[in-house]
Amino acid sequence: MEGVNVSTHPQVPGEPTQTATALLEKATATIQGFGPITKIHQHLCAFHFYGDDMTRQVEAHHFCAHQNDEFRQCLIYDRPGEDGRLIGLEYLVSEELFLTLPDDEKRFWHSHEYEVKSGVLFMPGVPGPIQRQDLDKVAKTYGKVIHFWQVDRGDNLPLGIPQVMMALTRDGQLYDNLAQDVEKRYKVSFAKESENRASMKGPVHGIHPMANGGGRGLKTVLKEVECKTAESMARVFV
Amino acid sequence: MDKHSEQVPPGKAMSMEQHMLDKGAQMLQSLTPINQMSQHACTFALYSHDMSRQIETHHYVSRLNQDVLQCAVYDSDNAHARLIGVEYIVSDTIFESLPPDEQKLWHSHAYEIKSGLWVNPRIPEMVVKPELKNLAKTYGKFWCTWQTDRGDKLPMGPPTLMMSPQGVSMGLVRPDLVAARDARYNISTAAMKSGRTELAEPEWINPQADYWKQHGKGFVVDVQPVEMKKIAPFP
Repeated sequence: MEGVNVSTHPQVPGEPTQTATALLEKATATIQGFGPITKIHQHLCAFHFYGDDMTRQVEAHHFCAHQNDEFRQCLIYDRPGEDGRLIGLEYLVSEELFLTLPDDEKRFWHSHEYEVKSGVLFMPGVPGPIQRQDLDKVAKTYGKVIHFWQVDRGDNLPLGIPQVMMALTRDGQLYDNLAQDVEKRYKVSFAKESENRASMKGPVHGIHPMANGGGRGLKTVLKEVECKTAESMARVFV
Repeated sequence: MDKHSEQVPPGKAMSMEQHMLDKGAQMLQSLTPINQMSQHACTFALYSHDMSRQIETHHYVSRLNQDVLQCAVYDSDNAHARLIGVEYIVSDTIFESLPPDEQKLWHSHAYEIKSGLWVNPRIPEMVVKPELKNLAKTYGKFWCTWQTDRGDKLPMGPPTLMMSPQGVSMGLVRPDLVAARDARYNISTAAMKSGRTELAEPEWINPQADYWKQHGKGFVVDVQPVEMKKIAPFP
């Protein structure tokens, strides 16, 4: 099966960066400390698809920081180069933290067991034995992904509302051409790597039935609501 | 009190082994998109559906070109800050090209800049003036994914749309929020404001932005269960 290749990378409109602007930013970057950014230590490559549409699949480059052993937060780009678009973000939590979430929240989160064990989720440039030490932990986690920029449909700007994304949970879901494109670019073999990860285990209690959309698709809709004003707040207490 | 810098997500402390793994990965991987981040800005944002809920934000900004910026937004500037959302910033030229239904999700930046609320910590004002002049004419679209202000220990619920501070009614930022920020950075928003009076006001701010001003309405994102379009069973 063929999927849209996201490396079409729609051209963002706008003028080239002016030299003065670039110089100014070089200067500010040097002076300012980039607190949370300096904690970003890891690049993970994987795929996401839309919560309501598996046929739309996006290559996702995660740049992750650990908050502690059970929580990571990642910025997601469509490609790992200088012109990468920040298309979304992902939170990763341990199984224990996931189980503390209310059931209604659990459906936003997806399991990572298949993504890791299939070899599809990997750390570009990191030798197998080293990345497997970390991925052994990732296999037991759950993730919540929101995308804001639908590059796969050719949007050259971040249009519309956020999308809840899901991840691969079994064979036959990922488009072959997307898989092969990544395998070629990063000189990896998902099939071969999956053999190396055969002994890894998913969540101790098994994948929670409320995770992965609770088995349904998830669609976001925008609703207009009355602004809560100081006056309307006051009325409540009259 | 600066409560947001003291909250940390639940979870066990990092093990030495994990520190080593992270260090190793960092040495082997290039993290190019992250290295494009070129400025840190501190400002404030208001929930579109409830503008009495206001937060201090820390934007780490990278530039795609002269007209388009993308920002990772955190709740503080310390190393353990929580990633609370993403903001996109576009020039007025690009904003005017967007369809009206898209424009209503965006906010203007002129007031935020002119009022001194938007600052680049540790950078002398005169250095950032040219950039502020550009920013005053831009529009932003900010989705918040972690409502730390209501005490969420973990990111919960669908993303929420955020609005920018404005000089009128619901758009005014609470003075205590500004005072806490100013004290932390040893700056004066009021002094910034008077130093920026000469920055040109944009001649036109599209009324389709800052939707609440004209319509008294905000937006929420709902998530509905639907049948997923599939090519293989799920999950």
